[in-house]
Amino acid sequence: MTKNTIKTASAKALTVLGLNKSFHLTTGRSVPAVRDFNLNLAPGELVTLLGPSGCGKTTVLRALAGLEELDEGEILLDGYSIANLPPHRRRMGFVFQNYALFPHMTVLENVAYSLRIRRSPDAEVRAKVASALLAVGLENLGPRLPGQLSGGQQQRVAVARALVMKPDLLLFDEPLSSLDTKLRVQVRAELRRLQKSLGTTTLYVTHDQDEAMSLSDRIAVMRAGKVEQVGTPEEIYARPASLFVAEFVGKVNALPGRVEGSSNGRSTVEILGHRIQVPTDRIPAAQVLVLVRPEAVRLCPPSADRPAGRVEETEYLGDRIEYRIRVGTTLIVAAQSALGGASRVAESDTVGLEFVEDAIHLLPFVGPA
Amino acid sequence: MAVALEGVTERRGGRGWTLVAFYPILALFLLVFVAYPMLDLFARAITVDGKPSFSVFARLLTDKFIWQVLWNTLLLGCTVAALGTILATIYAYAITRVAIFGKGVWHFFAVLPTISPPILMALGLILLYGRRGLVTNGLLGIQSTALYGFWGLVFAQLISYFPFAYLMMLHLFRGLDASIEEVAGTMGANAWRVFTTVTLPLLVPGLAGSALLMFGYSFADLGNPLLLGGDFPVMSSQIYLAIIGMYDVPQGAALSIILLVPAVLMFVAHKHLSARTAFATVGAKASSRHRMIRHRPAQIAALVFVGGITLLIFLQYATVFAGATTQLFGINYTLTIKHFSDVLTKSRHVLVDTLMLGVIASAVAVVVGLLLAYFVARTRMPGRNALDFLANLPLAIPGTVIGLSFALAFNHFPLMLTGTAAVIIVAFVVRSLPYGIRSGVAALDQLHRSLDEASTTMGSTSGQTLWRILVPLVRPALLAGMIFSFTRSVTTLSAVIFIVSPHWSLVTPTILSQMDRGDVGQAAALSVLVVLVVLLVIHGVPRLFGRDWREAQ
Ligand SMILES: Nc1ncnc2c1ncn2[C@@H]1O[C@H](COP(=O)(O)OP(=O)(O)OP(=O)(O)O)[C@@H](O)[C@H]1O
Ligand SMILES: [Mg+2]
Repeated sequence: MTKNTIKTASAKALTVLGLNKSFHLTTGRSVPAVRDFNLNLAPGELVTLLGPSGCGKTTVLRALAGLEELDEGEILLDGYSIANLPPHRRRMGFVFQNYALFPHMTVLENVAYSLRIRRSPDAEVRAKVASALLAVGLENLGPRLPGQLSGGQQQRVAVARALVMKPDLLLFDEPLSSLDTKLRVQVRAELRRLQKSLGTTTLYVTHDQDEAMSLSDRIAVMRAGKVEQVGTPEEIYARPASLFVAEFVGKVNALPGRVEGSSNGRSTVEILGHRIQVPTDRIPAAQVLVLVRPEAVRLCPPSADRPAGRVEETEYLGDRIEYRIRVGTTLIVAAQSALGGASRVAESDTVGLEFVEDAIHLLPFVGPA
Repeated sequence: MAVALEGVTERRGGRGWTLVAFYPILALFLLVFVAYPMLDLFARAITVDGKPSFSVFARLLTDKFIWQVLWNTLLLGCTVAALGTILATIYAYAITRVAIFGKGVWHFFAVLPTISPPILMALGLILLYGRRGLVTNGLLGIQSTALYGFWGLVFAQLISYFPFAYLMMLHLFRGLDASIEEVAGTMGANAWRVFTTVTLPLLVPGLAGSALLMFGYSFADLGNPLLLGGDFPVMSSQIYLAIIGMYDVPQGAALSIILLVPAVLMFVAHKHLSARTAFATVGAKASSRHRMIRHRPAQIAALVFVGGITLLIFLQYATVFAGATTQLFGINYTLTIKHFSDVLTKSRHVLVDTLMLGVIASAVAVVVGLLLAYFVARTRMPGRNALDFLANLPLAIPGTVIGLSFALAFNHFPLMLTGTAAVIIVAFVVRSLPYGIRSGVAALDQLHRSLDEASTTMGSTSGQTLWRILVPLVRPALLAGMIFSFTRSVTTLSAVIFIVSPHWSLVTPTILSQMDRGDVGQAAALSVLVVLVVLLVIHGVPRLFGRDWREAQ
């Protein structure tokens, strides 16, 4: 699967500036789909666009491929504008969610399509198609029609077809969403390996945060047509720029708090009626939202110097156990490894809570939305 | 557990005994009413004075005139098939891919002819473009017989039958996934190469299917050749003349057999084609919508095209309506309701008979079709494939041939049905069966297999399964099938012209004879009433066409 001989000539950098796109409905209304979208991709980088359904991810991808006309904006590939080129002049390897294989062509013909269109010599076509199929592990299925392949195999054909043209940019639109969970995990690892070895700059759309986390060099979280935050998976998870991002990539406790003072990179923040120490380089405001991931909440015997609460609910999830703990009017979620039953607590126990200090992230408090 | 096993064995061995009782009845029905008339027809073609002889065929096949007629028929069929498919493709393309206004209207008029008797088209054409036609004589001041002959027939058949091809292409264009064309674009193909390497190959099966469909309709058409043929004779009108004009049964039978050859070839070709290109219908669900073309010149061209054809069709109906509401169209344009009141008194029984027989026949066709579909798709009854073939055969047989074979086969011992309503009903049923089966198969396929399994496991027999659980779920599909079969029966002329009798007359032959007598007003009034009744029936059941009309908007 990983052995391959396809190499892109050189990876390209992508710059997207001020993209705007609205759809005009037949009723005369117009729906803004993408608003002032900016993004930079370094050569060879894999960036995922992550966001809820309908936030405009597909629209961005289609705009890059030239399949949607822009209202406004600039698309630069290594500094050259491609915004006004038609799709067939752009060299974008697009993998559609439904794969969009040509149903009347065999796997071989599908993969060879872009080469045939460019009228490459036969020998070259054969060699390149063979190595592309080898790269995705389908070297034996060449003569089949797409209708005779499983979903996973179809997906690989679509990838091979996009790779074989040595695209300047690979664009994936939720390519794994029609596979079952197990296969999805396996294929995404293969995709990542393939992309790394080819070094093709890649923009990858998904609404699955696990997929985004495991694949990406960087993640761009989108909300209502805009980029909300761009960063490495760790930045996105540990230091989200907004509550929306924090909640989109995982469970989080968001507790209103007040900064009471700070010295040598440590702040004292008051939450749940207790003072905690938070290491900070920067204090966003006096009123803050303290974000703590469930796995950064430790359960310990109740004591006077830390918040305590009653366990209302426990949920066994196989790899971990989640507790919902009532502290005053607030419900706090804590997660613990499910291995070793020694430290487990039962429902309606009273427990003390401790927050892992360097896993706490502060956001300015914006009031109840 | 034992009950559950029974469900399994039933599927394996065909043990649904309640329904099995129907199987021999169905088999007998098809043998008597599909196989037997055809064999009888063939026997008559090779019988002269009670002795077997090929002399009729020999005479016909050495007759230059017959070859000319056959050539005419093929030429007309090919022309109509080619032009009709092109028109239908452009029309469907304009409706599905170009941003134009008024799509509901354009679509409505494009499908209106599918629910009208084709003879109405001939009537409208004569009133508009005939010797004393409103356009030719009234506006242009010429007395021309140009309408009568090849091009008149092409025009009439196009306007009558292109709508069927349009519906087919509409379906196909809607089903084509935009992302398949888009991905070709991203791989370096410009618009033209996308069209030639992707769109066209995917459309070819549909185009061929639509061409064969049009060809078949042209072949089977009797009304237009009778009224507009002029000195351009085709097979169907020759059969009619041989029987009605010359009482030459062997010749009519032999001509029918000759006509059957290309018709059956078409049928086989079509089956082969749709089996080979099944890939066009499988595949992932469509992911992206087609972007409507907003290129101004394209929009204008599309509007002019659909508007022009809509205008032609509209003119037909408007003219027929005018013919029904004026004293004598072309001469005396005084408004009158005389024709309607005449029709509603003198020809009321014709209208009532037609509707009644049509309703009965369509109900029978759908029930028989459902049973056949059940036996073919869900059981392993011996001989079910042969029955399936027999039941689908009427698709291949031109209506004229079915009608004639019925008139001949059921005019003597052992089955004397001539002059009865039964022979008409059975003719309707036989012609509708292929569609009945299709709607039956579609209905059954939609259901989860688990559904009927669940009920069988609960201990009911398969007959109860079918009625109590399946029927309510498949009712929409069956009603759609009924409406289609009703429309087809009520509007056909070719299939019934030989089997109507003074006692049981039908609308289309009546219109024909009214036109022969020069009773244009009554013919027009009766036509208008038929169209209105069919429209009423179709809108009573908003499934079939209602959905089409809504989708287009
Ligand atoms: N052709 C179109 N016409 C009108 N509105 C559209 C069209 N395509 C997309 N939209 C709208 O634009 C917005 C963004 O759509 P887009 O397909 O980019 O979302 P997405 O982020 O890819 O969502 P999903 O995760 O569900 O695929 C949505 O509100 C959608 O309804
Ligand atoms: Mg999308």
